[in-house]
Amino acid sequence: MTMVQPQVQNVVQELAARISHDDVLRCIRCGLCAYTCPTYRVEECESMAPRGRLALVRAVIEGKLELSPRFAEKFYDCVLCAACTSACPSGTKADAMLLEARHVLFDAGLVPEPVRGLLERLETRHNISGEENAGRLVWCSNMEHAPTGLGRSQAETVYFVGCVGSLFPMSFSIPQAFSQTLDLAGVEYALLGGEEWCCGYPAFISGDVELAREMAAHNLEAVRQAGARQVVVTCPSCYHVFTHVYPELLGEEALAGLKVLHATELLADLLESGALRPAAVPMRVTYHDPCDLGRKSKVFQPPRRVLQAIPGLELVEMASTGANSLCCGGGGNVESSAPALVESMAGRRLAEALDTGAELIVTACQQCKRTLSSAARKRRLRLRTVDVVELVWQALEQTHSGGSR
Amino acid sequence: MEISREFVQELEEIVGPTYVHTDPVDLQCYAFDATFEEWRPDVVVRPATTEEVARVLRLCHEARVPVIPRGMGSGLAGGTVPSPNGGLVLSLTRMNRILEIDEVNMTVTAEAGVITADLQAEVERRGLFYPPDPSSIKHSTIGGNIACNAGGPRCLKYGVTKDYVMGVKAVLADGRVFSAGGKPIKYVTGYDLPALLTGSEGTLAVVTEALLRLTVKPTVVRTATVVFHDLDLASQAINKVLWAGFVPATLELMDDTTIHTVEEYLHIGLPLDAAALLIVESDGRDEKVVDDEMRGMVEIFRAAGASEVRVAKDEKEREALWKGRRSVSPSLARRRPHKLGEDISLPRSAIPEAIRRIKGVAAKYGLPIAIFGHAGDGNLHPNILFDRRNAEEWARVQQAMAEIFAIALELGGTLTGEHGVGIMKRPFVPQALDPVAVEAMWRIKRALDPHNILNPGKVFPAEKAL
Repeated sequence: MTMVQPQVQNVVQELAARISHDDVLRCIRCGLCAYTCPTYRVEECESMAPRGRLALVRAVIEGKLELSPRFAEKFYDCVLCAACTSACPSGTKADAMLLEARHVLFDAGLVPEPVRGLLERLETRHNISGEENAGRLVWCSNMEHAPTGLGRSQAETVYFVGCVGSLFPMSFSIPQAFSQTLDLAGVEYALLGGEEWCCGYPAFISGDVELAREMAAHNLEAVRQAGARQVVVTCPSCYHVFTHVYPELLGEEALAGLKVLHATELLADLLESGALRPAAVPMRVTYHDPCDLGRKSKVFQPPRRVLQAIPGLELVEMASTGANSLCCGGGGNVESSAPALVESMAGRRLAEALDTGAELIVTACQQCKRTLSSAARKRRLRLRTVDVVELVWQALEQTHSGGSR
Repeated sequence: MEISREFVQELEEIVGPTYVHTDPVDLQCYAFDATFEEWRPDVVVRPATTEEVARVLRLCHEARVPVIPRGMGSGLAGGTVPSPNGGLVLSLTRMNRILEIDEVNMTVTAEAGVITADLQAEVERRGLFYPPDPSSIKHSTIGGNIACNAGGPRCLKYGVTKDYVMGVKAVLADGRVFSAGGKPIKYVTGYDLPALLTGSEGTLAVVTEALLRLTVKPTVVRTATVVFHDLDLASQAINKVLWAGFVPATLELMDDTTIHTVEEYLHIGLPLDAAALLIVESDGRDEKVVDDEMRGMVEIFRAAGASEVRVAKDEKEREALWKGRRSVSPSLARRRPHKLGEDISLPRSAIPEAIRRIKGVAAKYGLPIAIFGHAGDGNLHPNILFDRRNAEEWARVQQAMAEIFAIALELGGTLTGEHGVGIMKRPFVPQALDPVAVEAMWRIKRALDPHNILNPGKVFPAEKAL
């Protein structure tokens, strides 16, 4: 114990220095956040509620509680969806404090084992999968027409694919659909291939701020090397980290002269201007807001504008939508340490989707798609989830092949 | 207190090891509610059935371990905070099933851990309505609402929780399970045990299931805000409205301190020179009837000296009118780090005098006190704003609180209208209740819970004072 004590003392001081007592005290402990918290609603346990987690931070700062692996667990099983902050009547920035706690815990070496494995992969391979990063373009290897961005090293626009779309076969269809859409619309873009590193978000939310900073700096340099003035992303977490975290890590000027767009922002304009003309999709669909795109980056309308531009498609909203949207469970890297919890969270979102009578869930995130699809499969539900860029490409392909109705 | 390893093992056998917590991290999460009372329990148990609750209580009864029943812990009186001796927190949140909705008899049977807002949403899907609406509607449970006899803005027209509890299934301190009450609306066979348990703050038995009365969901709502520059005029106007036979669905009041605090935060053009801002609602199922009621009330308010009346024309305007009231809590939190929200309850006629005297207390102790509440039923929420880390300030807050309670009692009111006594108001109970009545309550308590294991240290003044 005497060996550990000084270090623990330092962490407590760190926690107190980085999360102010005043900020924690802003929490009036009413418990409203629990109602909106996806982990609480599954576990119904106070230590899985934002209020409980903040009480733990406060107890440590006030010297009433010692740090322990169990303490750390309570912060790494939060999906970081920020629903708590959005619902808080007293303006407590719970999400920021829960994230800050992870940073302190990382510095103290209190990171859970599965997260440590992820960080190792990020450090050695520069991606979350652990594959050789040079293989980042494997998603386009079996496409009928190679995306034009493949051979282009210089362009106005860089399509930043992200780790999941690049390296996880289940998600290859997303960059395939989006690159073909860009080609059809005549947008010139470059792909960075092995020079694209993980955006840094998984490292950032795991607590390794320095690794995230290194990745941010590398990616921005790669984008500039391509002569780009615009980065377009299909992944909401990449979008959030570029727009909200890079300035924090590298300073506001880091993004000077660079515009960052989510695919849906670009698509909405291309569809509304008539540059893309999708065939009718006579379907009733519901839209699931990814937390990183919606609540955390305030991009609510572009994906809906995209859906409204598809003829014949009817959009019905779920009970919790927009800023109040319910996390699918796929956030915060919780999947690696608590897969059953994630599955139950996804189940609650699926129930909301079923209530709308929609035939299809549309989202704008490969992770939400993966989480919701796999939970639906486990429940033997005939309710598919697609990424909006896949749906758009499907409708465009029909027009293109003359098969439109 | 010391909890033995064997005791914990027995608990684990009853509910499963996943649902028994003894790690300090977990215990800390059950050490508090929405007040700043804070004592860590020795163990937290989360049963899933009445049978499990019964077995846990039998064990605690034999071992003399205090049991603190808990829903979502949003109480405002410390009722679910363990005592300094610790004990076992019995969390009922896993008991969250709605068991039956009887559309013909208009009742719902639900387990104690169902969140009130979830129950409301479920019955509303069928056109039914469960009216009690404490502001903690999304973060409190049916069991907690029954324990505190929760009210809310709608209760002038619709009544409080006790008016809806038709039956309960509950567990006595010794672990025996009983059912009481039922679906007949008239039910006088024996003592009304559901009524006895409603408002008993977990001191008499643990309610595990409730049979609740429902009504039909109103489909039309009209909302108005009314400004008065004089508190007495506002009070007289409210009386005239009620005497005219109108029963507003909501009659909320904000005093000038509250108005100023909200306006500083939101800048939505609230009247800074007003003495009182009222939010008035009429609801029902017939548009013409509701419109007529609202028109009638507006006429009376105008004739009685209101300086401004605004009726919302659509849902958007209705939201705008409510925005000020809904923002009271965040705006108060921005002003000072802590607030002590009381809920004295008064005869309606005493509201203006009570507000004036509480303003005197605010001036005397140099503390901002925002007053808002339910003007129709006399339930006021004076919120003292302060920083608890300042010991001298905290001492002033306690004196101010005592004076506010004294004012309520002098004016014929009582300590609490909907929050309950919990820990925080127990020192004032001897002043508030007839000593013989307290003695009678204590005898009931001892009859049902002879070893005083159910939520000890709550409601009753210290035992030596009995």
